[in-house]
Amino acid sequence: MQLTKSGSIAAALAGATCALLGHSPAVQAQDALKDWKFDTAILLYSEVDRVSLAEGVINASKTFNDDSVFNAKIALDGLTGASANGAVSQPNAQTFSGPSGNGSYNTPANTVPLDETFKDTRVQVSGSYLQPFGDSWRATVGGNVSSEYDYLSIGANGLIEKDLYQRNTTISTGLSLQFDTIKPVGGVPTPLASMSASANSYDDDDYTTLVSNQGVYEDDEHDDDDGGHGEASTDNKTTVDFILGVTQIVNRRMLMQVNLSLSQVSGYMTDPYKVLSVVNTQGLTQDVVYEGRPDSRTKQSIYWQTKYALDNGVADVSYRYATDDWNLTSHTIDSRLRMNFGESSYLQPHVRYYQQSAAEFYRPFLLEGEALPAYASADYRVGEMTAFTLGLKYGQKLENDKEWAVRVEYYQQNPKNAGYDEPGLLKEQELYPSIKAMMVQFNYHF
Amino acid sequence: MNIKISYYFIMLGLFSLSAVSPAVAIEKGQPAPSITLKYAQQQNVLSDYKGSVVYLDFWASWCKPCRRSFPWMNDMHQKYANQGLKVVAINLDAEPDLITQFLDKVPAKFPIAFDAEGTTAETYEVMGMPSSYLIDRNGVLRAIHQGFFVDKQAKYEKEIQTLLAEKG
Amino acid sequence: MKPNIFKKQVLKIIAVLILLPLAGCANLGVKPWERDLLAKDGMALNAEGVDLGLDDHIYFSKEATSGGRSFAGGGCGCN
Repeated sequence: MQLTKSGSIAAALAGATCALLGHSPAVQAQDALKDWKFDTAILLYSEVDRVSLAEGVINASKTFNDDSVFNAKIALDGLTGASANGAVSQPNAQTFSGPSGNGSYNTPANTVPLDETFKDTRVQVSGSYLQPFGDSWRATVGGNVSSEYDYLSIGANGLIEKDLYQRNTTISTGLSLQFDTIKPVGGVPTPLASMSASANSYDDDDYTTLVSNQGVYEDDEHDDDDGGHGEASTDNKTTVDFILGVTQIVNRRMLMQVNLSLSQVSGYMTDPYKVLSVVNTQGLTQDVVYEGRPDSRTKQSIYWQTKYALDNGVADVSYRYATDDWNLTSHTIDSRLRMNFGESSYLQPHVRYYQQSAAEFYRPFLLEGEALPAYASADYRVGEMTAFTLGLKYGQKLENDKEWAVRVEYYQQNPKNAGYDEPGLLKEQELYPSIKAMMVQFNYHF
Repeated sequence: MNIKISYYFIMLGLFSLSAVSPAVAIEKGQPAPSITLKYAQQQNVLSDYKGSVVYLDFWASWCKPCRRSFPWMNDMHQKYANQGLKVVAINLDAEPDLITQFLDKVPAKFPIAFDAEGTTAETYEVMGMPSSYLIDRNGVLRAIHQGFFVDKQAKYEKEIQTLLAEKG
Repeated sequence: MKPNIFKKQVLKIIAVLILLPLAGCANLGVKPWERDLLAKDGMALNAEGVDLGLDDHIYFSKEATSGGRSFAGGGCGCN
């Protein structure tokens, strides 16, 4: 077996990892590579007129002679494009201040305001180790680190599995902790503070309000103490996840899994770049305020999945019901049908349907004169919506256990009116535009 | 009163359902149950091997630890066949194509018997894949191993050596 | 917005669904040598793990619900 230069490096890394994990390092480079499996993928995701994402993943997995498994994954992704900032569209052009308070962006008339300054690069590294012990127990520990220019996330997780009834039943329980730090560009905005008061928070000069409506400008005295920004430059969030699951072999062709999850999130969950429009009874925007979400969220979900082995393929269906104390409930149905044909090829259609209800603090906009609520967000992602995915994957097995695949998916989100009357001219505005996205992904397994 | 009686009958019924026992017990120290071994070219019964030590292995192509057991079983066959060790590997695959695919990648120097129906596995109360049974020269079951573990290879080999040393 | 009573009923049904497999487990399942189809790669719960991870990343960013899945159990049941 010829080893290319990269093959030797991989073998050296593999040997080093084995030694580090307490297994005797393989003598030959070829032996070190045996039982290592690599999965690589490149994903291109693009929404019409909105966000585009490119992501690359490499996943390496090694099974040792005692059936323990080491897994490492590295993912790199870049995000560009525009994202709805939560304000409503108006029959005139609007200007919003950028996060740093220095830049600003314009939205033409009758267009959903999009924050164009949305760029991000993220690196994520994760690893896990599974160790069987006793006759029917398995324990897994893992860790992960993820970093973006304004976001850092560190976490650890553990899982214990127990087999019963000649391994027909597996009970599992897991705990995961995640600690995130967010450092938004321009500092953490005060929730529900006016965007206009925050511009140039580091500047003592007079400035012009950067929200304009029908050509009316207001000049405001800038007050250093009163600002939408500058109170804090970072904030953080802690997530604790608990999962309890049962996997059951039903018959020779079918297995089922049921999982109960409980999650407690505390800390900063607001999107620092999203705003809400404050409109009058005619539907004209009078002010733009930063959103604010509660600093605590308790979630529960139940997940059920069945996999069924056909003569030439696999059918996979799952359902998830989730609820939380933001009053948000969701239903997800996900299904895949693998159809093998020919010697080594397969086609796999994928259908997914998602439905969520609005969070109790979701408001498509705020009404002038109404008391400001404690929490409010116009982010459609916590609003009422349905979404569906239609996808098709084609793959081929090559010799030596290598495999490649290509996947194309269409994802559409349909935000809905959660029951808010639209005053005045807002009736003619597009308040709940659909988001349409296309995904293309290439996989290679070796 | 009637409810009580029917309750007892139901419990009895359930009990008898769960307590189905095979004709012969699988236990260390008991005679190894007789089974038919269907090879590619011939057929034998287990008692044909009286006088030899038999390493009876139940395996399948989809069983990953079986991939690790074959090189070791080849080794045992090579070392101890002339001392009277008979390695018999009973395959339990339902799809015959997969057997040849496996044997192409992991060749066997010992004979392979075929039992797609799994009747021999039933008789031997196989509890996990793979399973191996050591039978001494007198046809008595002496060791039962569930699973195959590379770090127990030396121990398995010692067991074989001990049984081979015993006279038939 | 669903009333709390409905939520409680749903959770009760869910609890039964969890306990049912546990209760009937002694009779449900296959013999250890009958796991040929379950041992196939496509039947592993973590099959296409990379795809699932990428999907999770997208849906986590675009929707308000995340997680739920786990990879424990199934497979060949060997060793």
